[in-house]
Amino acid sequence: MKNKTLLLARTLIKNGEGLNLKGSSTFTKIAILIVFAILIPSFMFGIAFVVTGLLTVLKSMGQEGVILSWGIAINSTIVFVFGIFYVISTFYFSSDVEMLLPLPLKPRQIVAAKFLVVTIYEYFTTAIFFLPIWITYGVYMKCSPMFYLYGLIVFLLLPVTPLSIASVIIMIIMRFTNLSRYKDTVRMLGGMIGIFLGLGLNIVMQNVLGRMSPEEIMELVQKGENSLVVLTSGIFPTARWGAEAMIYHNQLSGFMSLLIYAGFSILIFMILLWLAQLIYLKGAAGLSETGSKRNKQGRKQLAEEAVRGSVIGTYTRTELKLLFRTPIYFINCVMINFLWPIFILLPLIFQPEEINVIRELSQVMNRPGIEGMILAGAFIAALFFSASNGITSTSISREGQELFIKKYLPVSYRQQLTAKILSGFLLGLVSVLSMIIFGILVLKISIWLSLLILAVVWLPVLYTSLTGLLIDLYNPKLDWDSEQKAVKQNINVLYNMLAAFVPAIGSAAVFIFSLSLPAALIILTLEYVLLCLLLGKLLFTKGVERFIQLEV
Amino acid sequence: MIELKNVSKTYGGTVKAVDNLSLTIPDGEIFGFLGPNGAGKTTTIKLIAGILNADSGTILVNGRDIEKEALEAKKQIGYVPDTPNMFLRLKGIEYLNFMADMYDVSTEERKERIERLSRHFGMTDVLQDRIQSYSHGMRQKIVLIGVLLHNPPVWILDEPMTGLDPRSSFLLKEMMREHADRGNTVFFSTHVLDVAEKVCDRVAIINKGQILFCGTMEEMQEHFKKNSSLESMFLELTESEE
Ligand SMILES: Nc1ncnc2c1ncn2[C@@H]1O[C@H](COP(=O)(O)OP(=O)(O)OP(=O)(O)O)[C@@H](O)[C@H]1O
Ligand SMILES: [Mg+2]
Repeated sequence: MKNKTLLLARTLIKNGEGLNLKGSSTFTKIAILIVFAILIPSFMFGIAFVVTGLLTVLKSMGQEGVILSWGIAINSTIVFVFGIFYVISTFYFSSDVEMLLPLPLKPRQIVAAKFLVVTIYEYFTTAIFFLPIWITYGVYMKCSPMFYLYGLIVFLLLPVTPLSIASVIIMIIMRFTNLSRYKDTVRMLGGMIGIFLGLGLNIVMQNVLGRMSPEEIMELVQKGENSLVVLTSGIFPTARWGAEAMIYHNQLSGFMSLLIYAGFSILIFMILLWLAQLIYLKGAAGLSETGSKRNKQGRKQLAEEAVRGSVIGTYTRTELKLLFRTPIYFINCVMINFLWPIFILLPLIFQPEEINVIRELSQVMNRPGIEGMILAGAFIAALFFSASNGITSTSISREGQELFIKKYLPVSYRQQLTAKILSGFLLGLVSVLSMIIFGILVLKISIWLSLLILAVVWLPVLYTSLTGLLIDLYNPKLDWDSEQKAVKQNINVLYNMLAAFVPAIGSAAVFIFSLSLPAALIILTLEYVLLCLLLGKLLFTKGVERFIQLEV
Repeated sequence: MIELKNVSKTYGGTVKAVDNLSLTIPDGEIFGFLGPNGAGKTTTIKLIAGILNADSGTILVNGRDIEKEALEAKKQIGYVPDTPNMFLRLKGIEYLNFMADMYDVSTEERKERIERLSRHFGMTDVLQDRIQSYSHGMRQKIVLIGVLLHNPPVWILDEPMTGLDPRSSFLLKEMMREHADRGNTVFFSTHVLDVAEKVCDRVAIINKGQILFCGTMEEMQEHFKKNSSLESMFLELTESEE
């Protein structure tokens, strides 16, 4: 069994290349490598720097171990949240599933192989966060080699528990949403429920396990001896054992903790495999089936529907339809626009005491004289919300092998690119709108300021839409066999997030000089209008040229 | 009318898929494009449709250059690709409306044509379903209907019969004949030599990107100095190239 699983995992990894560098020019490749060679290490050094600072403080209280348990807990939570998306995409909506089902493989082999692949991908992200914490702690506390060995085991097993829990949740939901005739729709709803449920569960867990009165916490703090580590098990259950294993690496209790940590991870993984054997096939079979009505009243409907529309209007609407109807695109490009507000709102529902924090925050927000900074903050938020949806930064990639259609249509590339910008821009506006509504309802930002923000905050959305499309034109990922590769494993989304840092300089200036609202308004509007004009010009000249050159 | 002059296309700098190819297909003609797998048929067709950019040479469609007057040239063409798997998440009717809007077809015209063509091809009842739920042949038919909506003078079809049922295939052949007889151009590739023999006014046989033979059936038989079938001549021609 093992061999087949490993073989399958290897094939799956080979099938999905990582960085999307194939086909791009040497210049692009070098540029990308330099960015990574600088960015990632500096990020890791940044974390190490902060950790060193924290360690100094915490050590004086005898609580230095908390760093490790926080590190593990936060990493596990990240793996869990992103794992939900990953698992839906790779276990269910990936096109290789249809290819794998007819093979003589046990369901648990398929799931195990896919699980392994996702775990390996997760190592890249967890390494960036975990490595600096681990090493810094080891060096600062002058730990023995045993510490590093324990740390390695903790690191390797870290994604297992959160990913297994995410997989179990998704598998159960998919089992029961595979019944309907309108599979795509129900499954997308299922995916949404899974995400809500997952996030909700996470918060409830924190609530139940981590709830303590301030007095109790004070007591723990004063006790020293890393007593605070216990608290973090509230964020993620395995965090405490992993941390204790590493802290007490030269004692028997450390070894026991390591055993519990490993045992728990393996147990949960076994439960996953057992469940997979039972229900995975029922959830995965018939993925591409769709409802069919065989409508006899076609003629009447035809008269209503066969109506002429404008080229750009129809093109944009079709782009949006495909985004909403393709489950992978819906989850990764559309849902994400609504996710940010949910991220913020869910804790409020599950943890009402947070209201106090919000109230304080709202008081800060309504202090006179900081309107300029609120505006600058709104610009940054809009920038990153809309960059993270990846709609324009994957809009050429999503065409894949069907790109040829866009080349024989008698529609100018200018118009086509405009429609692509529009689709990303419109959905980006949705997330910005939800942000503003959140600002009004929860943070009690005044209506006139909200209206003012609304009047200009579409500029950053337009900016990221333009940079996204330009990036994707220059580095499109067209050679994919499953939709998830077009969006999920598309590095262009990340590049576009990086591009969003450029205009954030304007906002930073507003913060640094505490500019007044009129000054901030003028500076930011001017900055973005200029940038957008420049990028628009670039798109309609170089971008169009690039589109003409693209061939599949 | 389609005119290719010294057209070449190399993929990725190595595979020479179309090699200095010249070809003229006048109005009123059904032209069959034959050749073994990988001969360069699809590549040639994609070059004409404006999907690929030629490395050298010119392509005119009804006198319009596909590169210099791209939009005008593209409006002349109705192109059916070899794989009909596109826009699977759209409903049949949505796809047809999309194509009609892209080609600027008025409401009245599209209504009449969608109704007539889908009745012809027996697709009326499934227009409200997603293309994903269609069979291979049904997908081909919806693509075909979408192409015919704007009434293009030049038809370019890449293996259009594969997967069609006998009735639809017959219907398509009839439509091709009518279209050519009205003074338009039909250019299609096929592996079915019987079809080529019966339907085409002229055929070309291509291998390794070069045209081995181009002419009417009679010319071909003259060329080979025997009264044999297209099949045996095709085999002889392409074999001698080995
Ligand atoms: N996207 C591509 N990239 C690289 N080479 C390609 C590509 N498409 C086709 N080729 C190569 O170009 C040559 C011609 O291919 P083409 O698809 O035009 O053949 P064809 O005559 O349509 O064959 P078939 O009868 O199998 O459809 C082949 O050698 C093929 O390997
Ligand atoms: Mg072909």
